[in-house]
Amino acid sequence: MSGYADTNVLVSTDWVKANLGRPGIRLVEVDVDTKAFDAGHIKGAVGFNWQTQLQDQVRRDIPTKAEFERLLSQAGVSNADTVILYGDNNNWFAAYAFWLFKLYGHKDVRLMNGGRAKWLAEDDKELTVEPTRVTPTTYSASEPDLSLRALVADVLAAVKTRSANLVDVRSPDEFSGKVIAPPGMTETAQRAGHIPGARSVPWASAVQKDGTFKSIDELREIYLKGAAVDPARPTIAYCRIGERSSHTWFVLRYLLGLKDVKNYDGSWTEYGSMVGVPIER
Amino acid sequence: MDHASRVYESILEMLPSEQNPSPLVRLNRLTPEGSELWAKLEWMNPFGSVKDRAASALIEAMERDGRLAPGRSIVEPTSGNTGLSLAAIAAVKGYGMRAVVPNKVPLEKKALLKLAGAELDVINDNLCPSPGMGDGAIGMARTHAKAQPDRYVMPNQYENRANVEAHIRTTGPEIWRQTQGKITHLFTSLGTCGTVTGCATFLKQQNPRVKIIAVQPSEGHDVPGIRNKNELHVTKLYDESLIDEVIEIDFERAYTGALELARHEGLLAGPSSGLIFEGARVVASREPVGMGVMIFCDNIFKYMSSMLKHLPALKEGTEA
Ligand SMILES: Cc1ncc(COP(=O)(O)O)c(C=O)c1O
Repeated sequence: MSGYADTNVLVSTDWVKANLGRPGIRLVEVDVDTKAFDAGHIKGAVGFNWQTQLQDQVRRDIPTKAEFERLLSQAGVSNADTVILYGDNNNWFAAYAFWLFKLYGHKDVRLMNGGRAKWLAEDDKELTVEPTRVTPTTYSASEPDLSLRALVADVLAAVKTRSANLVDVRSPDEFSGKVIAPPGMTETAQRAGHIPGARSVPWASAVQKDGTFKSIDELREIYLKGAAVDPARPTIAYCRIGERSSHTWFVLRYLLGLKDVKNYDGSWTEYGSMVGVPIER
Repeated sequence: MDHASRVYESILEMLPSEQNPSPLVRLNRLTPEGSELWAKLEWMNPFGSVKDRAASALIEAMERDGRLAPGRSIVEPTSGNTGLSLAAIAAVKGYGMRAVVPNKVPLEKKALLKLAGAELDVINDNLCPSPGMGDGAIGMARTHAKAQPDRYVMPNQYENRANVEAHIRTTGPEIWRQTQGKITHLFTSLGTCGTVTGCATFLKQQNPRVKIIAVQPSEGHDVPGIRNKNELHVTKLYDESLIDEVIEIDFERAYTGALELARHEGLLAGPSSGLIFEGARVVASREPVGMGVMIFCDNIFKYMSSMLKHLPALKEGTEA
């Protein structure tokens, strides 16, 4: 009934409660605040640390295929599992993890709509501090699907030819160049501003007060009408380090159903530090 | 218990009540002509702030409904004052205490919480303004309470009516009695809004013409304990219908106001009091304030790091 283009990428908190402990379903929590999982998580969930487990520890890059396979194997995830991702900050890093799962070809991965905060706010939903016991698996990932990922060359080509929709999901102050990053953030860039031709649609435009996604009609209005994202063209979403843009990438690709949407995980910390690239303010 | 001799069997007997009100002190030099402003010195409460009232009421309410008993712990999100009152009362009564505080809270308050025996979680709150329910400090406290219900109970000062009732039962009647019913204006800040809602409820019942003025800091402020109106969605205790006017004051004046109060009135009041005073001054320069009462929530000692940040001149000449 949702009207979203893909109806198999979102589950409600009620659905998760009803399916707790069902074989073949794996809950994974990914938070910005890496202390949150230990303080309490949904029964049966495993926690991934975005800083140490969801990026390469040497190069600036996503985990390699082998690293991703090792992570999921140790977490007891099988290729056939339905993986439910959830986390704090309206699923920012859960959405980033979702993007990685898709990139490495996991068949059935979904976000819990509203994330950790919605679960927390509902009186009938429980948390536990009990560690989840997992039986390791032998997970095998596909080669990364680069149609989901924009590298800087793709972005520069898009700037040159003006051939793609560029969606900047950062705050208006980051977009306008008033600040390089939100206050207190350690990862920043050398220059402030935005990629030429980008439209500003802050990530939060996609969610309602309770953190769940807005209706398909509202999303169409905001992205396709308001921001004039042309569904016939390729689209690239970016933010500062690629996590908030994963959230918008999810909306554009799966809820609105645009065919060609890439997440630019290098985002402003890469683009805004490059020598000689055009920047708009 | 004898409030005249001030000899007590337990620190808890010093908690404020109509029989043992916090002092009401007149401002003699900083009041605009034609007005009268009085400060209610909440730092004279046993644990140093207005939150002694809410904290004791919250604990009593949880004891009454059986959620709190020896062996159990309290977990609460706090900007410091509620946590300190809760921790001290918990220490007296033998409960555990875990305080979840936003990182922005000054170091003195964090250290004080530890000193009073609280376990501390420091949270990067307001990481980026996100719509709807915060994760933040409230989320983390709720996480502990949900994940270990046999160990923790969360009073939730932002939703618990006992917070409001504390002020209906104590602060309101104290003010009414201390002013002999002559109060014309009440000046408060907005935090959980327990103070404003409770005092306004009581005072308006006595005299509907008492004006309730809430003073809020400008956006982007860093004054602990208080909120701008657009940060109020986290509290369920805010009742707009009881408030006659909300006055916004540039938050820097919370600090300069505190400085003026110390230098000209000998009132060593904290920044939220400085802000309330500045709001009262705005009203008094616009209309005569017959008898204005300002709730001075706490004193300046635990804000010295904030004061030094905002008023760097205070640092000058402090080293040989
Ligand atoms: C210093 C200070 N001022 C003002 C307030 C606001 O009081 P209330 O929460 O009752 O609105 C608080 C409460 O936390 C506080 O700590």
